[in-house]
Parts: sequence; structure tokens; C-alpha cells
Amino acid sequence: MLAKQYRAFKSTLDERGIVFSFSGYLSEGILYSLGDALRQKMALEDTDVTTIKKVFSVFVEQSQNIIRYSADKVQGNLGKTVELSSGMVTIGSENGRFFIVCGNIILEDDMEKLRGRLETLRGMGKDEIKAYYKEQLREPPDEGSRGATIGLIEIARRASDPIEFDFDRIDADRHFFCLKVSI
Amino acid sequence: MENLTIAASERSPEVNFDVAAGVLQIKGESYPEDASSVFGPIFTALQDYLAQADGNGLKVDFELIYFNSSSAKALMNMFQMLENAKGTDIVVNWQFMADDETMKEFGEDFSEDLSHVTFNLVAVS
Repeated sequence: MLAKQYRAFKSTLDERGIVFSFSGYLSEGILYSLGDALRQKMALEDTDVTTIKKVFSVFVEQSQNIIRYSADKVQGNLGKTVELSSGMVTIGSENGRFFIVCGNIILEDDMEKLRGRLETLRGMGKDEIKAYYKEQLREPPDEGSRGATIGLIEIARRASDPIEFDFDRIDADRHFFCLKVSI
Repeated sequence: MENLTIAASERSPEVNFDVAAGVLQIKGESYPEDASSVFGPIFTALQDYLAQADGNGLKVDFELIYFNSSSAKALMNMFQMLENAKGTDIVVNWQFMADDETMKEFGEDFSEDLSHVTFNLVAVS
């Protein structure tokens, strides 16, 4: 039963072309290790340097967004301050392209602002995104954003197709947020 | 002032600032969650150097493979600082692997606002 259950679980992931999937509490250390394995896997498959860079960059920005903004966090002191943020990062391939999906819980109060930013980016062409990135690089950071604006633009810039995103309401105060990028 | 030497870590670059020679080297990758932890000490050292450069020039050699968006913002701030140091001759060598479009494009983006700083894009294979 045990093996059957988990085999079915793994088969579902494999059928969706998923190469790596992480769900749970993310830290910078996990980000590093997953990122390293991801680059090695792509290099072993003779993926070209530019594609490896793009996939890695989107992976880092998405993971760091979860670490910074997930509304599901545990904090405490274990000799030093430790903060762990819960979320999901999934990397796979479909139709000859890589895709990276991140998911995490966000608060109702932050949702409209995030949706607005993502809609703006989805409506932009390649050259517009590049110009917007250059403009934001020269701007002081938004109050409380910890660099979110430039991170999302970087993600959109590396995407081969317009970014896909969605929000699934959990309750009055929270949504599950998902962002998918194809490269 | 003293030389600045920081060893690379998993997510931060190697930094060598040879004050007597006027050469700053930044090498490797930069994607810490908090970019100020990497760039704060470099900014402080640069400010000190530029304040007492007294006619000596500055050469900055970049050999970066990858950096995240918050490091990109810190790099932009660094270039603005260099551009504003009108009294010092500054040369930046932006080295990138010839097949790496991303790092080449970043070099082009950063060099756009610079007129006082000499910015060289250096492709290596």
C-alpha cells in the first residue's frame, strides 16, 4: 500500500514532466542545493548556456519571492534567528520547453497589488519589459517591497511566453498564489 | 586604508580590493537574499578609496557568472557611485563568457548611463 501510494504520487509528477518539485519550508540553503542540482541536470542534458541561465534565474527569483513573501512562515531563535517560509517550487519540461511554477500563500491585503504588477508585465512585449527593467533598476525600492518589483520583471524578462498566474481563495484573508513561467 | 579581501561563498562572489594598485576585482556569483550583505562592505571601501584617491585611478574588474535581481540593483548603485566620482579616472572591465548573452546584455545595460567611466565589454571564450 505504501509503495503503491507513493508510486502513484511520483507517476503523477513524472507524467507532468516534473524534474524537481519541492513543497514545504524553503530556506536559502535549500535554494542553493536545488539550484545546483538543477544546473547540473540541465548541463548533463547538453542544454545551452543561455537557457540554463534563464531557468536558473527564474528559479532563484521565484524561490526568493517565496522566502520573502510567503504568508506561511515560522520564525524563532535557534542560537541565531531562523525564518522558514512555506511554499512550492516545481521545475519540469513540456513540449520541448522548461517550466518553473511557484506557489505560496499570500494575504488578501497583498493580492490586488501583486495581481496588478503581474497583469502589467503580462501585457508587455519583450522590448517593453526590457525597458521597464532598466527603468526600475535605476529607481529606489518601493516601500516594503524588499526588491519585489525588479524580481518579477526579471522573471517576465526571461520567460519565452507571457507569464501565467492565478489566485485560489482559501478563506476571507488568504489566497494560494501560483506563477508559471516557460523557457 | 586597508585592502578588502572577501572569499567567495556558495551564493556570494570573491572580492579583492588592492588599494595600493587601485584595482577592485569581483568574481563569481551573487544571489544572497540580502544583497547589502555582499555589497555593503564594497561600497564602504569604494567610498573611502574615492574620497582619498588624490589623482590615483581605479580599475574595476568584473568576472561575474550570475547574479540575482537585488544584486543587479546593487551593481547599478555601484556604477552610479563610480560615475559621480568625477575626480578619479575609472576603468571598468566587464568580462563575460562569449556564449553568455545574459551577462553581455547586463554589461550593455549598465554601461548606458556612463560617460565619465570607461566601460569595456570583454568577451572571453
